[in-house]
Amino acid sequence: MRLSISHDTTYHYDDQVRASIQYLRLTPHDSERQQVLSWQLDLPRPVHAQLDPYGNILHVLTLDEPHESIVIGARGQVDIDETCEAEHERQSALPFLRFTRLTQADDAIREFAAQQSKARVDRNGLIDLMHALNAHIAYQPGITEVDTSAAEAFAGRRGVCQDHTHAFLACARSLGVPARYVSGYLYTDDAEHLASHAWAEAWVGDAWYSFDVTNCLARPERHLKLAVGLDYLDACPVRGMRRGGGCEQMHAQVQVAPLLQVRQQ
Amino acid sequence: MARTFYDEMYDASGAVRPHYREFARWLAETPDDLLAQRRREADLLFHRAGITFTLYGDDQGTERLIPFDIIPRSIPASEWRVVERGCIQRVQALNLFLADLYHDQRIIKAGIIPAEQVLANEGYQMAMQGLDLHRDIYAHIAGVDLVRDGDGSYYVLEDNLRTPSGVSYMLEDRKMMMRLFPELFAAQRVAPVDHYPNLLLDALKSSSPLDNPTVVVLTPGRFNSAYFEHAFLAREMGVELVEGADLFVRDDKVYMRTTAGARQVDVIYRRLDDAFLDPLAFNPDSMLGVAGLLSAYRSRNVVLANAIGTGVADDKSIYPYVGDMIRFYLDEEPILKNVPTWQCRKPEELSHVLANLSELVVKETQGSGGYGMLVGPAASKAEIESFRARLIAKPEAYIAQPTLCLSTCPTFVERGIAPRHIDLRPFVLTGRETRLVPGGLTRVALREGSLVVNSSQGGGTKDTWVVED
Repeated sequence: MRLSISHDTTYHYDDQVRASIQYLRLTPHDSERQQVLSWQLDLPRPVHAQLDPYGNILHVLTLDEPHESIVIGARGQVDIDETCEAEHERQSALPFLRFTRLTQADDAIREFAAQQSKARVDRNGLIDLMHALNAHIAYQPGITEVDTSAAEAFAGRRGVCQDHTHAFLACARSLGVPARYVSGYLYTDDAEHLASHAWAEAWVGDAWYSFDVTNCLARPERHLKLAVGLDYLDACPVRGMRRGGGCEQMHAQVQVAPLLQVRQQ
Repeated sequence: MARTFYDEMYDASGAVRPHYREFARWLAETPDDLLAQRRREADLLFHRAGITFTLYGDDQGTERLIPFDIIPRSIPASEWRVVERGCIQRVQALNLFLADLYHDQRIIKAGIIPAEQVLANEGYQMAMQGLDLHRDIYAHIAGVDLVRDGDGSYYVLEDNLRTPSGVSYMLEDRKMMMRLFPELFAAQRVAPVDHYPNLLLDALKSSSPLDNPTVVVLTPGRFNSAYFEHAFLAREMGVELVEGADLFVRDDKVYMRTTAGARQVDVIYRRLDDAFLDPLAFNPDSMLGVAGLLSAYRSRNVVLANAIGTGVADDKSIYPYVGDMIRFYLDEEPILKNVPTWQCRKPEELSHVLANLSELVVKETQGSGGYGMLVGPAASKAEIESFRARLIAKPEAYIAQPTLCLSTCPTFVERGIAPRHIDLRPFVLTGRETRLVPGGLTRVALREGSLVVNSSQGGGTKDTWVVED
């Protein structure tokens, strides 16, 4: 499937911002499952790409002239190989066994993980776990915040894809399975879910397999991967700080569309 | 329980050891009231100089004076040369280990250290994978904690490779002794330590590929317990002392705000933990770090001393492997001994530890500063039982060691002079080469019988002498 992405984020500030700095993970890279045909970032000023600690493509945007808004645009086309289920990697997956504040497993999560996976740490066990988490944490926007932890969302039983993913990571790691956070885009005909999306990958055998708890999908058919990390904070598309500016209004518009005409050629 | 302690000043028959003879003669000749007056003078001078520390876990944020004892800890030069070689060997191996771990991981492939133990360790930093550092230096400044057992042999208790502190006390204690008792230094040759700041600056500068790099000391600020030391070292080296807010990152370079405009910074001697360095890459709540610092570091536009991710090498669960590292990387036998260590993450070692809690010292693998440790022989039944529960709940977070008979040194206490337990922290610097000034910081446990020398736990300090024997 060929996807066309257009993602614009606009930040408006009540007051003038004196200086700001953003870590941007808005550029996908080629992998077994996805091939980037074209990609372009529109930034207020040109910035070199670098690789972050997880191998993601990172742009660091520093603005030190006073500004009242920042517009960040990302657009491009990517081919997704729907038949490719797993991604192989040479780097050891062991660092992804580590808990973080957002993915810490409490007793309730440990117990749930052991029960639902029936102590199987293979793909089937993790798929059962994915279904169980989807049933346990109802999808409901507006309840959780960006800094809600897995344990909090698990106890509150409501949340969004970020919470689903954190809960899955906490469960998988408590079973001794390396697991990581994925941020990216999802193509969906259903308007209920935002096209910016998060899901999990777990290391089973010798490769990373996807687990989209929100959509109960173990095959990433319509998922375009942007970045991975230990949790949301490592992989999120935009993480920034600023001096001044007062209150901030963020407006994000994402369009993900399949390019059917290309497929028909 | 009968224990034999090695005393630094007196041998088993009660005779003064040769390298203490000059001092003993002076002590016997000096009237008690003069000593008492000099001790009061020392307290006053330390107060005036502002050499205090803040106690963690104390709601008042009370500043306390670290007690200073005027009886020095003295080491014969021949003995020191062995300790020195041992420390250099150890720090060289640890630096080679870190370079290997963040590149080829030969030591894991060789089956010497289990992969999971290092890669899933909290101190292991993905940000360092494949990153090349100038001269491969990770621990520019290391503090190696040494103690002596009953027979006088030195043991390494732990390696501190993150932000070891205490060197300012080493320097100030010497200044104080020379000021109060100049006659002692005229009577015998005590190896000088006052060139430490020069060696430190040299090590920091040589860790940058630039000819004359701009060096700064980055402090968490004046509320940090070691703020005095940060300010002291910056002043002694003649470099700027900065806080996170004084620095900023633009296009992957680090700048310092100065009255004359922005000035690029090349080497940061940071006294801030990894988690607080860059709020955009690590702990997002950190108000102490510099946004964008990690990107500048990974672009190799700035040197951090120590490097990020050294914590994986001084973790107490990695400590048992240091001897193997020395053999693997240097093809040498370790000069300094390791304390035998039981790893509680191994079920058979855990059961041994649980069965012998009243005789062992139990430590958190990630702990430091003497917090969260159990000294079995000195603990109450209730303390032992509470530790037993913690061990069973999270065995991988603990190691255990036999209780060592830390050596003693005569020390002024309320009722005169009495033996108190001591340790030694030499500071090992790595730049073009690995070296250290003679001696280090001697900490003394002032409570009778106590084996915990940390300043946060009621410890004091002594001047440390290396004397020709």
